[in-house]
Amino acid sequence: MVKEEVRSLEIYETGPTLTFSMGPQHPGTGHFRMIITVVGDIVVRCDPDPGFVHRGEEKLCEYKTWITNIPHLERPAILDSAGLVYPYVLAVERLMGVEPPERAKYLRVIMAELQRICSHLYWLGLMGVFAGHATMYMWCFGDREYLVDLTQLIGGQRITHSYFVPGGVRNDAPSKVPTELVKDFRRYYRMMLGKDYPGGEVPEDFRKYVLAVCDFFDTRLDEYYPMLLDSPIFIYRTKGVGVLKREDAISLGVVGPVLRGSGVKSDTRIDEPYDAYPYIKFNVPVMDGCDSYSRMMVGYYEMKESVKIIKQAVEQMPEGPVKLKQHPITIKVPAGEVFASAEAARGQCSFYIRSDGTDRPYRVKICSPSFRNLTAMPYLIRDVRIADIPIIYWSLNYWPVECDR
Amino acid sequence: MKYVIYKLKNLSLIKYIINWGRICSMWPVHLTTACCSVEFAALSGPRYDPERFGWLAAVGSLRQSDVLLIEGTVTAKMAQRVRLIYDQMPEPKWVIAMGACAISGGLYAKDSYNVIQGIDDIVPVDVYIPGCPPRPETLFQGILMLRDKIMNEVIR
Repeated sequence: MVKEEVRSLEIYETGPTLTFSMGPQHPGTGHFRMIITVVGDIVVRCDPDPGFVHRGEEKLCEYKTWITNIPHLERPAILDSAGLVYPYVLAVERLMGVEPPERAKYLRVIMAELQRICSHLYWLGLMGVFAGHATMYMWCFGDREYLVDLTQLIGGQRITHSYFVPGGVRNDAPSKVPTELVKDFRRYYRMMLGKDYPGGEVPEDFRKYVLAVCDFFDTRLDEYYPMLLDSPIFIYRTKGVGVLKREDAISLGVVGPVLRGSGVKSDTRIDEPYDAYPYIKFNVPVMDGCDSYSRMMVGYYEMKESVKIIKQAVEQMPEGPVKLKQHPITIKVPAGEVFASAEAARGQCSFYIRSDGTDRPYRVKICSPSFRNLTAMPYLIRDVRIADIPIIYWSLNYWPVECDR
Repeated sequence: MKYVIYKLKNLSLIKYIINWGRICSMWPVHLTTACCSVEFAALSGPRYDPERFGWLAAVGSLRQSDVLLIEGTVTAKMAQRVRLIYDQMPEPKWVIAMGACAISGGLYAKDSYNVIQGIDDIVPVDVYIPGCPPRPETLFQGILMLRDKIMNEVIR
């Protein structure tokens, strides 16, 4: 570790200001616009301008049936489809008063954690790019493909699988893995770790294959640390940048890794356990550095915890049915209102649903984690240099599509 | 004189060389309109490596770009910016519409009040890539189809 240096920034209160727009085409911001006011190269004001991908998801929910809502609800958080659909499915189940089978609970947890890792890898890779570290992008996206393959194996699609349905999951996991996938993984294992897979043959059994991929990824995570997170340049770019103190984090109402990076131990999987999480032992990583570096480290340690969760879930998963018997399209949901939340990759995602007893929801309100983290952005992007904007922006793990809904 | 230059440019060998130069240095604009950008990022990763086909990394300014890849849903607010970006790009330029939303509105075609139902109302599209989101292999096919199209173009 390099020695931490305290950086002082001179703020020029007087002088000509310049207001300009950053985004929506800027590579550092994606489909999102910030109106920045600067004095010299010091940012004195930042006004976020979301809404470039506002597709009216909540209104759309009122036109579609309970089941056909699931595919379009995945799209806002396409990196983390499971995270946004999870609370919706939990809410509908609570309204119906049903409980999914045991095996379905574990499959849901496996899927949710796989998507969490995929989302965090995307985050880490892009953070690396905007910190000037292209290798991290290549490493993260190379490893991510094999986890996406696992998602495809279980759900049938790379990222938008529509796997969760009220009353269970859509289909069971396969018992055997295709030979091409196994060969490809073995080749990649040899290429990245410089040695052959122990025992020579990668298992084709589903459970053993998932454990093999998890072990491999755990080893790779250990290699990420000296590559990016312990690199002096990265530490200098992120330490002390975008400081969000504990009290401010709580009062601004941020969630997920941003809140845990400020030293608050808050995780829906622990606070309000759902599905198979009560049966699984895992820790919630918390860092009290309150800066961009802490937020990145929380994401990194969360991936390690997710690997543990997947391993336990695969080992504990019982045999049996994966879905309740019900009509595939028009399920009956009684009238009433319900609130449910789940821990998505970027934080707590909540759904408020009101039903009037018909085949469609009467009202759906989505509270996505990115929307809640957006409140911290104008607070953090103030009195910093222009070069720090992408670092702060990506440290919040903000995904505009999820915020705009 | 202009006519003579036009004819000279379109002699088969010169035309081939110019078009070959264009297809081997296609430079996309970094414009992420919606969620298909995740698959575009996966395409740019090490497993697929689009630089084999002359598809450069999506960095640089609009003044150097020649391909506009519309990645997914275009809303009413974004449509103005898409047109603005298209107008700022130098000729020759091509447009790829990626994903069902960019082609026809996709999942949001019927009920959404804010989604443009097909980007071809805003900018002229050369290649359509269906899917929601399209797999990286599908994107490759789109890139190869665009290369074929460029190779057969007349030089102005």
